[in-house]
Amino acid sequence: MNRFRFTRKQLAIPYMVFLLLFVVMPLLVIIYFAFTNGDGQFTIANLITFFTNANTMGTLVYSAAVSVVSTLTCLLLAYPAAYILARGPWKHKSVLMMIFVLPMWINFTLRITALKEMLSVLEENLAYYPFWNTVIGMTYDFLPFMILPIYSTLVKLDDSLLEAAADLGAAPWQIFLKVTLPLSVPGIVSGVMMVFLPSMTNYVVLDMLYNSTYIMGSLIGSYFSADDWHNGSMIALILLTIIFTVSVVAGRYEDENMGNRGGALL
Amino acid sequence: MIKYRKQLTALFLALGMVFSAALCRGIQPVRAKKQAGSDVVTLRVCNWEEYLDLGGWDEKERIELENNVSIFGEQALYHDFEQWYYENYGQRVQVEYSCFGTNEDLYNQLSLGDVYDLVCPSDYMIMKLMAKDMLVPYSDAFFDVSQPHNYYVRGVSPYIRQVFEENEINGESWSKYAAGYMWGVTGMLYNPDKVEEAEAGTWKLLGNPKYKCQVTIKDNVRDSYFAVLGMLKADLLTSNEFLSSADYGQRLTEELNDVSTPTIQASEKLFQQIRGNIYSFETDSGKADMVSGKVVASYQWSGDAVYAMDLAELDETYLSFAVPQECTNLFFDGWVMLKSGIEQDERKQHAAEAFVNFVSRSDNAIRNMYYIGYTSVIAGGPEDSTVFDYVNYCYGAEDGAGDTVEYPLGYFFSGDAEDSEYMLSTERQQCKRQLFAQYPTADVISRSAIMGYYTDEKNVELNQMWIHVRCFNLNQVPKPVWAAVLAAVLVLVILLIYKKLQKH
Repeated sequence: MNRFRFTRKQLAIPYMVFLLLFVVMPLLVIIYFAFTNGDGQFTIANLITFFTNANTMGTLVYSAAVSVVSTLTCLLLAYPAAYILARGPWKHKSVLMMIFVLPMWINFTLRITALKEMLSVLEENLAYYPFWNTVIGMTYDFLPFMILPIYSTLVKLDDSLLEAAADLGAAPWQIFLKVTLPLSVPGIVSGVMMVFLPSMTNYVVLDMLYNSTYIMGSLIGSYFSADDWHNGSMIALILLTIIFTVSVVAGRYEDENMGNRGGALL
Repeated sequence: MIKYRKQLTALFLALGMVFSAALCRGIQPVRAKKQAGSDVVTLRVCNWEEYLDLGGWDEKERIELENNVSIFGEQALYHDFEQWYYENYGQRVQVEYSCFGTNEDLYNQLSLGDVYDLVCPSDYMIMKLMAKDMLVPYSDAFFDVSQPHNYYVRGVSPYIRQVFEENEINGESWSKYAAGYMWGVTGMLYNPDKVEEAEAGTWKLLGNPKYKCQVTIKDNVRDSYFAVLGMLKADLLTSNEFLSSADYGQRLTEELNDVSTPTIQASEKLFQQIRGNIYSFETDSGKADMVSGKVVASYQWSGDAVYAMDLAELDETYLSFAVPQECTNLFFDGWVMLKSGIEQDERKQHAAEAFVNFVSRSDNAIRNMYYIGYTSVIAGGPEDSTVFDYVNYCYGAEDGAGDTVEYPLGYFFSGDAEDSEYMLSTERQQCKRQLFAQYPTADVISRSAIMGYYTDEKNVELNQMWIHVRCFNLNQVPKPVWAAVLAAVLVLVILLIYKKLQKH
């Protein structure tokens, strides 16, 4: 007779099973397809195709352009908002913050549909500015993801540091540039991560705003619907690699900065 | 290739099933008992989304026809079938009704191992399934005209029957394996206040700079390629020599199934031009954008055009439908039985054939037409005037109405284009509206062609062309932009390095 002992470790089993089935398994399937050809033989032709094909390179550049511009727009809009929210003389900051995050409670296709109607009125014809429509759509969609992390670093900022800087004769703009901004970098980095990566693949926004140019997400979809699972998987895999690399680099940068902060405090 | 994919997917599914089975163990015995308790034939039907009347009509919607037939959709048509089958054959049937989104999705599902008994794909997919020997032929009993319950053979339009008999795959005519369901043509839905009829009546509208960013095209390579072929070959297709040639029909079909590499390359160039001129590539939004006035014309299937025209009329906007003068794509969807599902089970095949007959009964055909806006292949046969009465009910001119014309429907209902019995007296504008979209005139039919299926190789080539059209072209970026981006990146890198060095 086996005695069954319940340990804390076993609580992780459901998640492990989930992870195995819906993350690890599909990943293995993607890797398998990416490195095989139609006959199931190993090949790196798909990898070479990715870097030599005008379709994939063009799409990569276009997606990156959409991402970079959307992220910058988000940052430019979110930082002042987060700053005012966190450092302003408000009594109920959490309520104000909630108002900013409120749009996230509405389904995003609904929001984009509303945006579409608004842009149609403003621009007369949506088809004139497909790139900028996409940037506006992405910004609208991902802005709260940028505000939240920046806000949370700024709100935790130690006031005594700012006072010390002022006592030592720094002008307000110098305080901002030399103290506030460097200390909020971790928030900016995680905000950028949360906006940059999804806006490279979120093709629903493009579809709904009638941008007929493919981005990475739609390109993968078009390969799959054309029954080309191998090249599609390779694109997915490379995208995954890019995301992974960016995350690792950003994570490192964050760690380094944390160390610096310790130094600055001394 | 398919073999490996199947195995992997099967493994993946199996793991998922083990997982879910473990969760549902408590529920399973109850279901098993229910199955074993009665002798029920299960019929697995897979149809297009929104392609069968699901009932729930309002009493106001009841259709009362001249021949005293009253049509009302109370519950889903397949539930009605279950009752009807039990009453007539004393056998319980349970219909498992599911839907697919595109022909390719259906084909992928089938090749991944999903099992259905009866499916309703489009023309070219029927041909492909026939060519791959995946279908079960209809039994001889199905074609017996003397049987009163054989609504399909008794009621199918002579025109559609002819199309199904004339076309062959591997030396066998389609009619042996497929029973028609809905049919239509492709054309341009347009706003007559903004676009001239002559301008809408040609595929060149897609590239017409006068309507820059105001016309939509379909977001799938087959339909769009057809339109572009019509533009590319416009001169040939409208030349007298071509139109008057003895084998016009055959030549037209050949020209519009042209997937030779030079033609695909030429079409790509044209696509690139069109792309800058259109409003959007759409799958569903074109209808709404027509109704709301965002665009002035939209490439549509006739059934969707009817739906959009109906919708626009609620806002007192009157849209029109035009079929390009060069050519049009005749399409239809049909019921086919799958070998993998039927598995020589006679009871199942009987139920499947009965299902086809049931949806082909005139009143049920009308329920579907009313619900989805497409045109049923059912004409009703010489004795049954229900379908014609329904067309009259929808589009016939009121007594004493001013400007009426005689609209000939004989080609569809009796096979004789000039048949006086099937002359519909209708208001003049209906010749450009719903009636024309639902039952195009005989001259439209004469310039229609069916698109066949392509070999895997050609599919790849077409898809590559399509992806290429839709991807961003790096050559579009002017050199100064490249220089600016490069400079920005360089500055950034130098700045980072400088900072690092400063720290040490």
